Amino acid sequence: MLTLAMDKKFIPKITVFHCINAFSETSWSSVGGNDVEIKFIKLPCSSMVKDVFLLRAFEAGADAVAVLVCPEGQCRYVEGNIRAKKRVAWVQNLMDDIGIDGRRLSLSNIAAGDTAAAIQIIDGALENLAELGPNPAS
Amino acid sequence: MIVAEQKPLSEIKEIVAPYKKILILGCGTCVKTCFAGGEDEVAVLASALRLACKKDGKEIEIEELTIERQCEDEFIRESAPAVSRNQGVLSLACGAGVQALARRFAKTPVLPGVNTTFIGVLERQGIFTEECSGCGTCRLDIFGGICPVTRCAKKLLNGPCGGSQNGKCEINPETDCAWQLIIDRLKALGQTDNLRRYIPPKNWRTSLSGGPRKLVREDHII
Repeated sequence: MLTLAMDKKFIPKITVFHCINAFSETSWSSVGGNDVEIKFIKLPCSSMVKDVFLLRAFEAGADAVAVLVCPEGQCRYVEGNIRAKKRVAWVQNLMDDIGIDGRRLSLSNIAAGDTAAAIQIIDGALENLAELGPNPAS
Repeated sequence: MIVAEQKPLSEIKEIVAPYKKILILGCGTCVKTCFAGGEDEVAVLASALRLACKKDGKEIEIEELTIERQCEDEFIRESAPAVSRNQGVLSLACGAGVQALARRFAKTPVLPGVNTTFIGVLERQGIFTEECSGCGTCRLDIFGGICPVTRCAKKLLNGPCGGSQNGKCEINPETDCAWQLIIDRLKALGQTDNLRRYIPPKNWRTSLSGGPRKLVREDHII
């Protein structure tokens, strides 16, 4: 869990935007250790994750950004997670145009309290970073 | 509204390449509504350009500002201090806004960040359709409020071409046949007699083909 086979000098920075109804960082505790720096940004609904917030996370040095949203059909505000999904897809394309690889940005549906799924998502992001390396624009 | 689309990032990068300090200037009217050049789009483009330049090892300083309208000098003047701090302005307004800026700031390069496309409406969230060609002689009164000059691919003024199928245009099956819409609308309005009226060949001198147009309102000039 959360192991990283890459240059020891590279400590990946991951910014996690999450809907407060999908995930709570208090359930995260100390998972992750020293191999990764994770910054959580909670939102009242994932639809609040504007495209500029995602880009600015990369400007602020994130190597990857993960957006955690409620399962489809379970958004308290009906379509917030669908809006977030479309916005993330748009920003992924823009990141490809920028040249920093849209795969650094991901969106995942997650049920409330499913910490195991959250760990898997971060693991997936770390696996991606093992291939992609540090953010070339940080 | 005037509908525009932001240029691809690669093209914008080329356009701003000669400058190290640039103002991205948004417009809070038409281009804001069509998600091309309002405050949000200015912020996203600025962030994307900063990331792209950093990735390429290029230095760039970007200032962001959005004014209410770039096609009116009264609003443009608000941007003067920001313009003076930068080597160039990347305008996210329509072509009229870009030119109005260029007129005001004679010594500052003003660069286009969007492609201005058409006069249209918001059909539904995220979908914009062309509805008006600005031809200069509007006869929507006869056509039940549906413009065949803009919405008929053949610009026919005296009835349909006969090529439409199931109410769709033969040129583009995704487009409604304007004449089908006109007939349906005139039926609903009880104005089908309009269809018997002969519309003479259109005088295009009032359109752009007569050269750039100018509207003068003497009563507003002091």
